[in-house]
Amino acid sequence: MERELKVNHLTRVEGHGAVELKLEGSQVKEIKLSFTEGPRFFEFITRERLFSEIPKIVSRICGICYVSHRLAAAKAIEDAFKTEVPEAVELMRRLLIVGEFLESHALHLYFLALPDYMGYGSAVEMAKDYPNVVRRGFKIKEVGNRIMKLLGGKTVHGEAIVAGGFTRAPEKEELELVIDWLTEILPELEATAFLFDSLEYFELESPVELEVSLENPVPSEPSDRVAVSNGLKFTKQEFEHFIKEEVSPYSTAKRSTVNGKAFRIGPLARVNRGEDFYTEETKEVLSRLKNRFPSQNPLLANLARAVEMVELAHRGVKYAEKLIELLPFEPKAELEPGEFGGYGVKEAPRGVLYHHYRFSPSGHCIGANIVTPTAQLQACIEEDLKALAEKFSYLPDSQLKKRAEMLIRAYDP
Amino acid sequence: MVRIGIVGLTGCSGCQCEILNCEEALSKILQRAELAFFPLAKDDHTVPELDLALVEGSVSTELDEEKVKEVRKKSKVVVAVGSCACYGGVQAQRNDEASLKEMLETVYGGEKLFLKVFKPRPVSEVVRVDYELPGCPLDKRQFIYTVASLLNGVKPFFPKIPVCHECKLSETECLTLKGIPCQGPVSFAGCGAPCTASGIGCQGCRGNCDFPNFDEMVKLLTERGLKRSDALKFLKVFRGKTFNTEKLGSYADGKGA
Ligand code: SF4
Ligand code: SF4
Ligand code: SF4
Repeated sequence: MERELKVNHLTRVEGHGAVELKLEGSQVKEIKLSFTEGPRFFEFITRERLFSEIPKIVSRICGICYVSHRLAAAKAIEDAFKTEVPEAVELMRRLLIVGEFLESHALHLYFLALPDYMGYGSAVEMAKDYPNVVRRGFKIKEVGNRIMKLLGGKTVHGEAIVAGGFTRAPEKEELELVIDWLTEILPELEATAFLFDSLEYFELESPVELEVSLENPVPSEPSDRVAVSNGLKFTKQEFEHFIKEEVSPYSTAKRSTVNGKAFRIGPLARVNRGEDFYTEETKEVLSRLKNRFPSQNPLLANLARAVEMVELAHRGVKYAEKLIELLPFEPKAELEPGEFGGYGVKEAPRGVLYHHYRFSPSGHCIGANIVTPTAQLQACIEEDLKALAEKFSYLPDSQLKKRAEMLIRAYDP
Repeated sequence: MVRIGIVGLTGCSGCQCEILNCEEALSKILQRAELAFFPLAKDDHTVPELDLALVEGSVSTELDEEKVKEVRKKSKVVVAVGSCACYGGVQAQRNDEASLKEMLETVYGGEKLFLKVFKPRPVSEVVRVDYELPGCPLDKRQFIYTVASLLNGVKPFFPKIPVCHECKLSETECLTLKGIPCQGPVSFAGCGAPCTASGIGCQGCRGNCDFPNFDEMVKLLTERGLKRSDALKFLKVFRGKTFNTEKLGSYADGKGA
C-alpha cells in the first residue's frame, strides 16, 4: 500500500521548510526535505564591498547565530591580512560566544523543542500550566542577550563586533555583572539539563555514521582544524576539498557530503566527542544523567544543548575573570588590507560554519564562499527521516508526521 | 480578543527574535490580544483571519509573494517590520547593480532553482502596507509602542528625525567630530543610537530620516577617509531602493571633493 505524507510548512524551526515522504509498506520510496528560504545572495552582495563591511553584512545571514557569522568572517579577514588579535580580544570573543549559545540554545530548548515533549503547541500555551519552566527559559535567554548587548552594542547583530576585535572594551563593573549573571543562572542550567534528561525521547538509531565538529568541540574555544568521527582531520584551508556542496533539485539549501556520505554536525556531534574537553563541573553533571553520550539518537541533540550551556556558563565566568585581570586593554587590532584570501571556521549553535573570502589589493572582496550548517544538515536529516519513517511506518499519519517534525526540530536547521 | 500574527518571509528571523525578547511586554499584550499566527514559535500551518499582521523579511520567492498576499487579504492592519520588509534589506543592496541571473550564477552556479525567485523586494511593492517599522532588527520598544497604540485605537507616529538627535539625548560624544565615519545625520532615529554609544558610527540600518542631505554626507565620509565609491556603498547597505545614487549631486559622479 502506498502512502504519501506531507508537511507543507514546518513550524517552530528557525527557517522555512517542508517535508514530503512516500512509503510503500515500511519501505521509504522517496523523501524530500526542502528548505524554501529565499536566496539572499550573500556570496554575491559581499563582492566589491570593503573588508570592513563584510562582518556586518554576513551577520544578517542569521538573527539567532549572527555572532558566529560575524566572528567567522572577522577571523577570515584577519587570516587574510595576517593579523594577530590581542589576548583580550580573543577572550571577549569567547565570552560573546557564551552569550550567543545561551540565547540560541535556550530559545531552541524552551520555545521550539519543549512544547512537543510536554504536549503543547507552543511555549505560550505551556506557560499557562508551567509558568516557572517557561520563565526559566526566558531568564537564560535574557542573560545571553545581555552579554551580547554588552559586548556587541546591540542584542541582535551587534555592530561593535568588527574585523580585528571590538570598538569598545568593557568596564570592570560590567564584567563583574556578567560573572554575577552567569553564576546566578548556573543552577537553572543544571536544572535544564536534568529536565531534558527526564523527557521521553522515542528510540531512534541514526544511520548517519559520520560526525563533524571542530577539533576542539567546545564552541567557545578556538580551533582551526576540523575533525571527522572516522579519524580524518583537516585544516580550515582544506574545508572546501573535504566538504562537498551541490545544488539540490528541491531545496534552496545546498546539499553537502564528506566522501560522498551524509554527516552530522551540531550539538550532538560536539557533545558525543566532548567529554574529554569539558570542565570538571560539566563532567559531574554528565555523570548524573540517565542518558549517555556518545549517542546515535538524534533527538538527544536537545539534551546535548543543555549540557553545552552548563559547560559554557562555567567557562564564561573564567573568561570574564581573566578579562578583569587584563584591564585596561586595547580591544582591537589594526588591519592592513591587501590582496589575499582568508579562512574562518567556527562552531555555530547548529554546527560548523565556514567562511572564505578573497580580496583585491585595496581590500575589496572579490569572492566569497560561505557554508552554513543548514546546507550541511540537509542530507543528514533526510537519512534520519528515512530511518524514522521505516521504523514507525505502523503509526497513523498524524503521529508519524509529528515524529518527523520533532526530529527536524532537534536539528533546528 | 484582538488577533495578532507574526509572519516571516525571506529574512534572518532577527526581527522575530527581537519580538520574542520582549518577555514582559508580550505577556501584558497577551492579556488583551491573542497570538493567532506565529509559525516560528507555534504550530500554526495556515494563516487565519487577523486584526494585525507583522511581516518580517523581503519578498524574494513566489512563496513569499503568495504568503504576503494571503496575509494582506486576511488582516485588517499590516505592519512591515525590519529593514528587509521596509526596504528590501541587506539582500537588496546590489539590486540596481546586477541582474538576477548574475546573482544566481554566483551563488548557485546556474539559474535553475526549484522555485521561482525574484530580486528581494520590500513588502510595500507587493501589497499595501499600513505602517513601517524599519531597523535591522527593528527596535523592540518600537514594536511595543506600535502594538500598544493600535490596541488602544491610537495611530502610531514615527517622526523621521536623524539619529544625531538621539546621541544628543543620551549625551553620546559625537564620533563624526572624532573622525569616525557615521551615518547618523541621514538615518532615521528610533533605535536610541546604541551603535554610536559603543564607539562605532551609525551604519544606517533604519534607513533615511526626512530630508537626508546625502551630498553633504558623502563629503563628510570622504573627509573621514573613505573613498567616494566606498562611501556610497557604505550608505547603500540597508537602504535598498530608498537610496538612489543617480539623485546625488556632484559627489556621486566623481566631480565633487
Ligand atoms: S531586517 Fe535585519 S534583523 Fe530583520 S529580518 Fe531582515 S536582516 Fe534580519
Ligand atoms: S555620533 Fe553620529 S549620530 Fe551621533 S551625533 Fe555624531 S554624527 Fe550624529
Ligand atoms: S545607530 Fe544606526 S546602525 Fe545603530 S541601530 Fe541605530 S540606526 Fe541602526
